[in-house]
Amino acid sequence: MATFLQLLFTGLGIGAIYALVALGFVLLIRAASVVNFAQGQFSMVGAYLLVVGFNVLGLPYYLSMFLSVVLMAGFGVLFAGATYWPLRHRGGLPVIISTIGASIFLENIVLFLYGPSPEVLPGLFDSPGIQVGPVFMDSQYLSILVASTILVILQYLIFEKTLLGKKLQATSQDKEMASLLGIPVVAMILITFGYSAALGGLAGMLVAPVLFVSVGMGGLIALKAFAANIIGGYGSIPGAILGGLLLGVAETLGASYISVPYKDAFAFAMLLMFLMVRPQGLFGEKISEKA
Amino acid sequence: MKLLEIKDLRARYGAGEVLKGFDLSVDQGEIVALLGANGAGKSTTLRAISGLVPHVAGSITLDGKSLLGQTTEAIARLGVSHVPEGRRVFPGLTVRENVILGASNRRISGADTKREVDQKFDLFPDLRRLADVLGWTLSGGQLQMVAIARGLMANPRVLLLDEPSLGLAPLIVQQVFKVIGEIRKLGTTVLLVEQNAHMALSVADRGYVLETGNLLVQGKPDELWNDPQVRAAYLGGMAAG
Ligand SMILES: Nc1ncnc2c1ncn2[C@@H]1O[C@H](COP(=O)(O)OP(=O)(O)OP(=O)(O)O)[C@@H](O)[C@H]1O
Ligand SMILES: [Mg+2]
Repeated sequence: MATFLQLLFTGLGIGAIYALVALGFVLLIRAASVVNFAQGQFSMVGAYLLVVGFNVLGLPYYLSMFLSVVLMAGFGVLFAGATYWPLRHRGGLPVIISTIGASIFLENIVLFLYGPSPEVLPGLFDSPGIQVGPVFMDSQYLSILVASTILVILQYLIFEKTLLGKKLQATSQDKEMASLLGIPVVAMILITFGYSAALGGLAGMLVAPVLFVSVGMGGLIALKAFAANIIGGYGSIPGAILGGLLLGVAETLGASYISVPYKDAFAFAMLLMFLMVRPQGLFGEKISEKA
Repeated sequence: MKLLEIKDLRARYGAGEVLKGFDLSVDQGEIVALLGANGAGKSTTLRAISGLVPHVAGSITLDGKSLLGQTTEAIARLGVSHVPEGRRVFPGLTVRENVILGASNRRISGADTKREVDQKFDLFPDLRRLADVLGWTLSGGQLQMVAIARGLMANPRVLLLDEPSLGLAPLIVQQVFKVIGEIRKLGTTVLLVEQNAHMALSVADRGYVLETGNLLVQGKPDELWNDPQVRAAYLGGMAAG
């Protein structure tokens, strides 16, 4: 039981990262009908920005994080200008291909600047963690869980309780109608890209101390996050959160109780199972809302 | 000067010309009906005014300012409020949220918004009870009321209404037209597209009849009503009423 609780804790921590990246996916799917295959590379770039701020420039950790998040938001807007904007009237596929191209481009730029050897980042706290009953709560996993919870609440408040949030939702539901009401649709889409990149970048910074910071770190996270998105229900916000957590827990339990080398296989086995048994995912939405 | 003035309006989607060059104007405070059979080009005319048709020629001015080539958002900000075909109520937002978003292009305080939303609910009492219900759960008549209330929240110079009666039960149609009558009392200018000529001409000051992208005839409601060409070509059996 103690082991189980311990694994549950770790799994939720990893799952929270998947959930944050999955949220980034979902927001762009909803706002711009864009499936962004560079979402994982947002996490990678975010982590490298933290490396630059903290390891290279020697700025304080929190300041580096803050600056990196701000830079990521700006980066998201530039990214939209490069990949989405020129192709926005051409339907989904060209944009998908251009985000795939951008993901390869980003990895190669970072590879060129930093080389293939991974970078190491310390955690948010010096203390290794705290013992709560039978569970040792690693301070970084704890930080991930706390930060993700705060982000999810913040996002909920922004989307549900502010006028900006309602305009973002309106834009994602019917762009033409939004523009007829004078809602600046382009600005709404750029805000979503910026937010999505900041979210992805922050996820990368949070997970960096647990993994290594490497050029390839984003790819696998994004695959898991995409799987989480489908498990939770394609395009569903609560689905992205729950799907991510579920996936993190499943693969951690699977790795521990069954086989470590097949850790990643559990995530995809779960994805296949959902696709066969419940393709609409946990929170499959009404067709009318996606039209 | 006319409030809304359209001259030699031409529009096409791809190859085929859908609007073939006609003039239309709306005076301050008027309700003008734009009639015509299916596919005559009524919606395209409204969409051209709102900047939603890519290939438009001729001129469209509001208060003398050209709308041609402006973005849809900019046209909305200039005071054109378009209640489109199919209502287009945001399905995932509540009735109140939908109505509030109608004021998106205005600088207006929270308190004023609240008061104005309340006024719209006075106009459509059913909506007050449905204020916190999501758009996708509403019936056709309720959707139309939300769409008009939302359109009015823009406090527009001119309100474009595209077939508000389409697909509604007769009793609901009566209710919607009663509100259009009340809107005119508030001094709002309306360009009303309808297939229901009888209802439209009962509230309108003037009317235009389109036929496959050309202007067939224009005039006062009783003139249109008694025009043999119109009767034969379009109003047909309905004119008996
Ligand atoms: N997006 C489009 N692409 C191509 N052709 C279109 C498009 N929208 C409308 N048309 C064509 O333009 C013509 C005019 O259509 P429009 O919708 O303006 O007619 P309408 O008078 O509003 O008819 P209805 O009463 O059916 O709404 C029709 O022949 C229609 O097929
Ligand atoms: Mg029409």
